[in-house]
Amino acid sequence: MADVKKSVPIAGIQVESLVVMKIVKHCSSTFPSAATGCLVGMDQNGVLEVTNCFPFPSVEAGTDSHQNDAANTAASAPRAKSNLTYQNEMIRQLKEVNVDANNVGWYTSATMGNFVNMNFIENQYMYQKDNDKAITLVHDVSRSSQGALSLRAFQLTPLFMSTYKEGKFSTESLRSNKLTHKEIIKELPINLHSSHLITSFLHGLSGPPDVSEVDMPVSVEEIERNAPPVPLNPSIDGLELSIDPFLEKTCDLLLDSIESHYTELNNHQYYQRQLAREQTKISTWQTKRKSENAQRAAAKQPLLPEDEWQRLFKLPQEPSRLEGMLNATQVDQYSKQVDNFTASISAKMFAVRGTLLYE
Amino acid sequence: MSRFFRSGESSSEDSSSEEEELYSEEEKDEEQQEDSDEDQSEEDDEEEEDAESSEEEKRGASKFLKDVDSSDSEDSDEEERGQVKSAKDKRYGELSQTIKAIENGSKIGDWNTVATEFDKLNRQVSKIKDSGSTPKIYIECISDLEAKVLEASEKQKVTPKKMNAQAARGFNTLKQRLKKNNKDYQDLITSYREDKLGFMESDEEEEPLPVKPRKIRFDTFEPAQPAADDDEGFETVDGKGRVVQFTPESIFKHLRAIMESRGKKNTDPFGQIKVMEKLNSVAVTPYQRIRVILTMVSARFDLSAGVSSAMPLEHWKAAEQELSTLLTVLEESKEYIVIENAEDWEDDDKPPTLGPNDKYIKIPGSIVSYVERLDDELTRSLQHIDPHTSEYIDRLQDEGSLYNIVFRGLLYYETLRKETSLEIPQDSLNRIVMRRLEHVYFKPAQVVNILEGNCWKRVPDSVDSLITPRESITEASDLISTLCNYLFNNSEGIIKARAMLCRNYFLALHDEYYLARDMMLMSHLQEQIAQFDVATQILYNRTLVQVGLCAFRKGLVYEAQNTLQEICGSGRQKELLAQGVQIQRYNQVTPEQERLERQRQLPFHMHINLELLECVYLTCSMLLEIPLLAQTGSSPDIKKRVISKTYRRMLEYHERQIFTGPPENTRDHVMQASKALAAGEWKKAIQFIHAIKIWDLMPQTDDIKAMLSKQIQEEGLRTYLFTYAPFYDTLAVETLGAMFELEPRKVSAVISKMISHEELAAALDQVTSTVIFRKGVELSRLQGLSLTLADKASSLIETNERTLEQRTQGSSNAFERQGGRGRGGGQRGGQRGGRGGARTGQRQAGGTTFTGGALGNAVRG
Repeated sequence: MADVKKSVPIAGIQVESLVVMKIVKHCSSTFPSAATGCLVGMDQNGVLEVTNCFPFPSVEAGTDSHQNDAANTAASAPRAKSNLTYQNEMIRQLKEVNVDANNVGWYTSATMGNFVNMNFIENQYMYQKDNDKAITLVHDVSRSSQGALSLRAFQLTPLFMSTYKEGKFSTESLRSNKLTHKEIIKELPINLHSSHLITSFLHGLSGPPDVSEVDMPVSVEEIERNAPPVPLNPSIDGLELSIDPFLEKTCDLLLDSIESHYTELNNHQYYQRQLAREQTKISTWQTKRKSENAQRAAAKQPLLPEDEWQRLFKLPQEPSRLEGMLNATQVDQYSKQVDNFTASISAKMFAVRGTLLYE
Repeated sequence: MSRFFRSGESSSEDSSSEEEELYSEEEKDEEQQEDSDEDQSEEDDEEEEDAESSEEEKRGASKFLKDVDSSDSEDSDEEERGQVKSAKDKRYGELSQTIKAIENGSKIGDWNTVATEFDKLNRQVSKIKDSGSTPKIYIECISDLEAKVLEASEKQKVTPKKMNAQAARGFNTLKQRLKKNNKDYQDLITSYREDKLGFMESDEEEEPLPVKPRKIRFDTFEPAQPAADDDEGFETVDGKGRVVQFTPESIFKHLRAIMESRGKKNTDPFGQIKVMEKLNSVAVTPYQRIRVILTMVSARFDLSAGVSSAMPLEHWKAAEQELSTLLTVLEESKEYIVIENAEDWEDDDKPPTLGPNDKYIKIPGSIVSYVERLDDELTRSLQHIDPHTSEYIDRLQDEGSLYNIVFRGLLYYETLRKETSLEIPQDSLNRIVMRRLEHVYFKPAQVVNILEGNCWKRVPDSVDSLITPRESITEASDLISTLCNYLFNNSEGIIKARAMLCRNYFLALHDEYYLARDMMLMSHLQEQIAQFDVATQILYNRTLVQVGLCAFRKGLVYEAQNTLQEICGSGRQKELLAQGVQIQRYNQVTPEQERLERQRQLPFHMHINLELLECVYLTCSMLLEIPLLAQTGSSPDIKKRVISKTYRRMLEYHERQIFTGPPENTRDHVMQASKALAAGEWKKAIQFIHAIKIWDLMPQTDDIKAMLSKQIQEEGLRTYLFTYAPFYDTLAVETLGAMFELEPRKVSAVISKMISHEELAAALDQVTSTVIFRKGVELSRLQGLSLTLADKASSLIETNERTLEQRTQGSSNAFERQGGRGRGGGQRGGQRGGRGGARTGQRQAGGTTFTGGALGNAVRG
């Protein structure tokens, strides 16, 4: 079993519908602040089966701490020490009731796909370094409210894992590793799986009435006696045509991303200027030392060492490029999201136009 | 010998005993010391000299008594010492205490304390010194202190760690004072250093009687002591007791002696002046008189050698009189001329005579410098007088006579200029014309006319001016323009610029807004003003403000606000207009800078009323900002447009207040008016604005108020339309007119303007005379955001391209396609910007900086 685990990389994820329901419930109850939880399950022949999950207790932020802090603690909850013990304890107890008790990752909630940040990376790294099959399920509450459920699974790429392990995100190392923002996370396909019991229950649900004409009930008693089956409410959220809120939100987020991009840019430019200044200093020092040495050589004096500059001057530290890269990934996510959205919405628009023209 | 003359003379006056004399002198000393301590170090020199000279005067009387004392009766002296001793001991105690404090302070590097203690020490020592010798411990202390200061300053150079500002200041003062002070005791210090123990041990009791180093001075040559005019029967004697006689023949000898002692230490300038006054009275030939007056005037100017102290009033008056006499003499005897480039006449015995080829006898001197100096001194003394006293008014009256001198000096130079052989530099003439101009440019026309009239009355009818002919110049404006034109034609650089500014100032003062504005723009001074000296920059600021005020008087609110923005928006009006020193809160200014600043201050009568200025600025800002605030409402992208940051800040502050009482000052009035205007209560706003008292300072207050009412009505209408347009489909012009008590014509004019500037999405139906609002023309939030996003994205692309270009060293032709796209993005952005600009219309077009823009736009618009 163990060696099978090692050899086959997971290709797909099978999520129990129970898990989905639990995640959705947890996430939407804490919305808009982030919610995180632990996934348990097992992998089988390259398919990771997520069979159960439980939420992390959100640390009581208290009234005195700032809103941002609260969000932060929630997002970094999986790494909190108390939560780790809680998780282990929980898994142990699950084992006792004979449920799959392998930790296979964690889930988090997101708003409009803004989940790519340092917290995400750190959490996922923590899970994945122990178990390279650990995954993250991201449930986007805002997008789910627009109709279709948005649940996505992610993993960090092995390349990124190794780079992150080294902790070096300088231009140099990025270039040598050929790591770009596209290779930070990879998405895995998700397969929803329901137990037979649930499937049969779903089939048992009554559909819309078969006949369009229903005989009027004669009396109240008849209704009471012979209550018509309540039809399953068809979801019409999917036909929602409100474009503006979604795009506005995305625009806002994109603008934020651009802002942070500029911040990163400025940091980097500052570094470059600093570097250039130091380098000119060093080169002047070197030429000076060289000419001095030439003179000394002429005067037959012992030469001065020429590598002293390493001690005298300190080159500035290059700022980490990780933030920038994450930002780029995030922007990528946003753009894909808009792409998806516009694809579906234009179809809807056409449909609407079609109906209007028909009439 | 001489002492008998002396004592005889002074015994009548000084009946008081020596003891008293001594103490009074001490007190005086102490006062002087304190004075000089408070002043800056440079002044110290001069102050001390003063102190010395006054001391000398005193000593002139007392020294003989003392000498007699010391030489005649040894025992009486002993007695006296015995008496003094208890007081002396006490002083020694104090002294050692102070020294202790100094030592402690210098150990912990608290230089500020050391400096104060050092001053105290000096005061104490001067007391002791007067009654005895310099105390040993004092010498020890100052010598040690010097060593310590040296060491500390060495240390300062090496270590990068700074002292804190206060300590550093204390340290510097201490260093300077110590240097100066120790010079006096140099001998003692050296002897102390050579043999520390020996020096300290030598018995104090055996010290010889106070040896005053100053006594030596009396052996050197000294001009005659001032003799009282009323002492009939006495003859004037010099320091050695020779009888001094003032005869016309000896004039030059005296003058030479005075000239030689000039600038040296230990001379008595007052005495010299007295001598020269006598000389002047005996001078007969014009040559003698000219020479004497020239020397005398310079000597008088020497009295105020310090930078910040003005010369004494009586001397100023005398100098003014003498210059006037000089000019009269020069006018009468035309063969004598005073010019800068003349040779000095060496022979004292016989006056120069006209050579066969010479037309003139040249005497070295510079009238223009005297006139300038006289002018400066008046300004300086005006700076020092409290402007709210009658003294100030009295002093200000001297300006008339000064102007007269300037005028006559100008006439004199004009006559000199006629003679081409003399090579009078154009510069002198320019300078004097400039002075004349600077005395009139800030005054109302009536005052200038009176001033001019008085001047012409003083000079004989035959005299006429070339630059400003008597006949053609009747009005002040003519005078100004003639003077300025002369300077435009004949001068360069700063004087030209100043002339230009003065003219603009005068024009603005007399409500010639368009003329002043055009001249201001044509001069292109905005671009180069930073290169001029501070005084000119101040004049520029003054002119700018005056132009702004003029625009306001004309009812041109937008122009006024724009012009005043740069000065008033900075919050440093006082400093920029040189009408007071700003309280420096954050950055420490050195005393040096502060002194310079104080020197630059304008005398009060030239001030522009700052409160009025602020009032005008705030009112203009209100009239522009309130409609703008209503217009921008909550939309995010235009919200950033701010006309006046200062005003916005005040408004925000005002709105934050929970309780607002009735307005008290100008600012409150404007703020409450703003609030009322924003709420559409234009009548209340007018009330508030009219309640501001400072409008009374403006000429034609009623016109101004009427203009303001009109403006408030219009802006109220605009504000109303901006705020409530979304709630209307149509709106009758009549209704609006009734609401704001404006004529329908005016209402439709305002509306048309707003429509054409795309500020209001509406159309004007002339048949039914209604405004029909269009709906849905506002950008939705999404649209706004998308536009912003597009802008940002295109700028990102541009940044990227620039980086790429840098990396590839301009060989990025391979990326032509991308470049083209990027530029396209830029253009899109540009178009949008353009549209945004057009939407908000002309009002925005100028931007908010004055530098060329504001007025420039007004011209174009």
